[in-house]
Amino acid sequence: MTEIDLRQIQDRHQMIRFFDGYAIERMEELDERKLKRPLVKTHLLEILDGQEARTPQGLQAIFGRRGVRLQPLDEGLFLATDKQMGEIGFLERLRPRIVALYSTMKSDELGRWVRRLILRSPELDHVWLSGLTFGVLWGLVTQLSRPHRFTELVFTHDSIFDIDGLTTEPEEEEEISQDSGEEDLEEIIERRATRFRLVDRIGVIQEKLGELQKLYSPLYAISKLRFPSPVGRGGHDFYDNGRVTNRSESFRDHRSHLLFVVRIYEQLLKSTEEQAWYSIQESVGVPGQFRKIVGAPVVVRFQEPLSPAVFDQWIAATFERKRNRFRLWGHPVRLGPTKVHVYGVDRHLWQPLFLELTAKGCTAIIPNGTCGNTVHRLVTNIQRYLAPGAEAFIGNKPYQQMVEESARGVHYDLDTE
Amino acid sequence: MTSIPNELLKDPLFQLNAVLWLTQPLPGGSEITPLLYNQGFTVYAIAPLLGPPLDLRLAAQEAGISMQERVRPDAVLAHESDRKFAFTECKASSSVLTSSTAQARSLLVVAGPRAAEVLGLASGQVSASLLGLVIPESDREPVTQTLVSFSKELDENRLPAGRFSVLGFVLTDTDISIVINDLGSAFFALPAGANPFMKREPDTDPKPLYFIPYDPDVVQSEQEKVFCKRVLFERMHSTITAAIGRANPPAELALESQKILNDAMFGMYGHWENPGSAKHMRRLYREFMDALTQAVNAVVLGAMVFQPGEGWRISLQNEEQHERVIDTLTRFSCETLDLRIEPQPSLFDDLEDNGPVRGGV
Repeated sequence: MTEIDLRQIQDRHQMIRFFDGYAIERMEELDERKLKRPLVKTHLLEILDGQEARTPQGLQAIFGRRGVRLQPLDEGLFLATDKQMGEIGFLERLRPRIVALYSTMKSDELGRWVRRLILRSPELDHVWLSGLTFGVLWGLVTQLSRPHRFTELVFTHDSIFDIDGLTTEPEEEEEISQDSGEEDLEEIIERRATRFRLVDRIGVIQEKLGELQKLYSPLYAISKLRFPSPVGRGGHDFYDNGRVTNRSESFRDHRSHLLFVVRIYEQLLKSTEEQAWYSIQESVGVPGQFRKIVGAPVVVRFQEPLSPAVFDQWIAATFERKRNRFRLWGHPVRLGPTKVHVYGVDRHLWQPLFLELTAKGCTAIIPNGTCGNTVHRLVTNIQRYLAPGAEAFIGNKPYQQMVEESARGVHYDLDTE
Repeated sequence: MTSIPNELLKDPLFQLNAVLWLTQPLPGGSEITPLLYNQGFTVYAIAPLLGPPLDLRLAAQEAGISMQERVRPDAVLAHESDRKFAFTECKASSSVLTSSTAQARSLLVVAGPRAAEVLGLASGQVSASLLGLVIPESDREPVTQTLVSFSKELDENRLPAGRFSVLGFVLTDTDISIVINDLGSAFFALPAGANPFMKREPDTDPKPLYFIPYDPDVVQSEQEKVFCKRVLFERMHSTITAAIGRANPPAELALESQKILNDAMFGMYGHWENPGSAKHMRRLYREFMDALTQAVNAVVLGAMVFQPGEGWRISLQNEEQHERVIDTLTRFSCETLDLRIEPQPSLFDDLEDNGPVRGGV
């Protein structure tokens, strides 16, 4: 729980003023290298589209089922309180399908709480920013910021299926934070595992990154990106699982960056679903008689084929374990040494999903109604754990192009909402 | 479960699904090259019910030529901007064609000069049409001869027959190709001869993901039938698991055969007006649901019940029970069933789902 009594805050204006003041204090402490309280973190959550989630009461019911009370403060703004842990932070609906949870809890504690909430809620998911999406966001950072500004990128690729035996018990996997405390584990890794932080001027990185990525594919697996703040020092650190840390002295600026990215993400979700959803539709002009298949397959192509051993490990670790990184369920139908079909389920959102998995890539058929987030989680996890340089397509359209198109027309300005 | 490749080419469901994949948007360099999509063809209708124009049926009757009143080509492909329509039928062999002469004649007529009328379009909306017959390339000659003789017979009796093109599937060590003659080449804007469209890997079954996994009306080898039944069961299992996974207990769900079968078949179940086929599908559903009910009720007694007239229902009292049901559902596998056994008639065949609908899955 937070150390501050959040109940004193009554509306959005007060919340923003409170977090603005809090951010300034933290920046001063960071300057003195004596951080006394945690930074403000936001977790961006996607709400499965549905009748219930559209109303404030529906949102309260979804969280209420998991023991989280949402007390309305302002239009689309709630104080979030956990039955056991007390006050967590503020929850704001930024877009119809995306909410932001702002909190001053410690990073690990909050991360664990959010992960558990999502694990138990088929209506909620993280906002998944894949390496390919970050590639486009990085392009925007270079356009929006001056070349001399500093930024930070983190690249994470952990080829967890490329080992003789998994060291992590499947039941424990979900409990291990993806972005904290890993340095303490100090395990001896004998597989390709890349995690490094790059801090430099935007102009310098812009000049070198493309070439470096061609030389070493894990550099496509961007898992964290800092948007430098245009109103002061520092910036906003976006992680691949939708966590965003405010390392600037302005919460307003932080919120503006959230709005900018979630507008792109929401557009991306919409276009993914519009294009990828497979269904039988009536042919125009002849209702009730002719039907045709509409939709497009999702294709992910690995840069290099997986070895048969890695392929087998991937299939076994995904479909023989209840809790697996890809959150998939199904009984693979084996069609060859490195080919399976799975008519399964995204077991987080409980949506059907049909997959062809081979050493060279993955083809997915997404039935109508399956949330677009399933696709973005799949791409994010493939880049992180299997093939960092993977390319993805919705039909014959490159995924990256879809992200670029989603970003077009989204304004980057302060205090828009 | 790897297919015998040459047998696979004869399988009408493989053929149909391959044709559907040929019309899907896919990136360059994929395992499947969507030759027809690349040339502008998409699926206009799947298994549409079409009838030859009435005057032609009368003329056929007078001439003593048997024709089916209604036919369902497996798919109609269309090039919307060029206004070209290909009525596509998948056949295992030439003998299947010769044993269904009335169907073949009707297909030639509906794909003929009156195709626009048959499709319910204005005449200007169809500039060209043909019957595309998908068959193993080895059967090209006898099929061509049969269709030529039917066309001649129809023409002699002033029944305008459509052009036809045999689309032969052929296999090499590295790929599966579609062999097209000159007429097909001009129509589809593809080179005449073999056009590779599906890559093969050693010791690997080339099947793509199936859009349409099952059809009780087609002739299949035992092996392919078992495979298709497995896919159908997997898809029903996936639909049911997803629906129960999303439930918020306490909840009661109706698992209606109509809805589950339609979801598993991409909506094609609702299309079969042949009562025998629909009944066969419901029996398959019952076979699967009986096994699933047994597994679930062994863990949560009485959670799943069948009631004549209502079908199957599942009741989830609380979170803990929900967890246990999901655990059982996800552990259950249709591989434990003997997929070779044909579903047997039951007293409940005509009773299921006929009762009041209560907002099912």
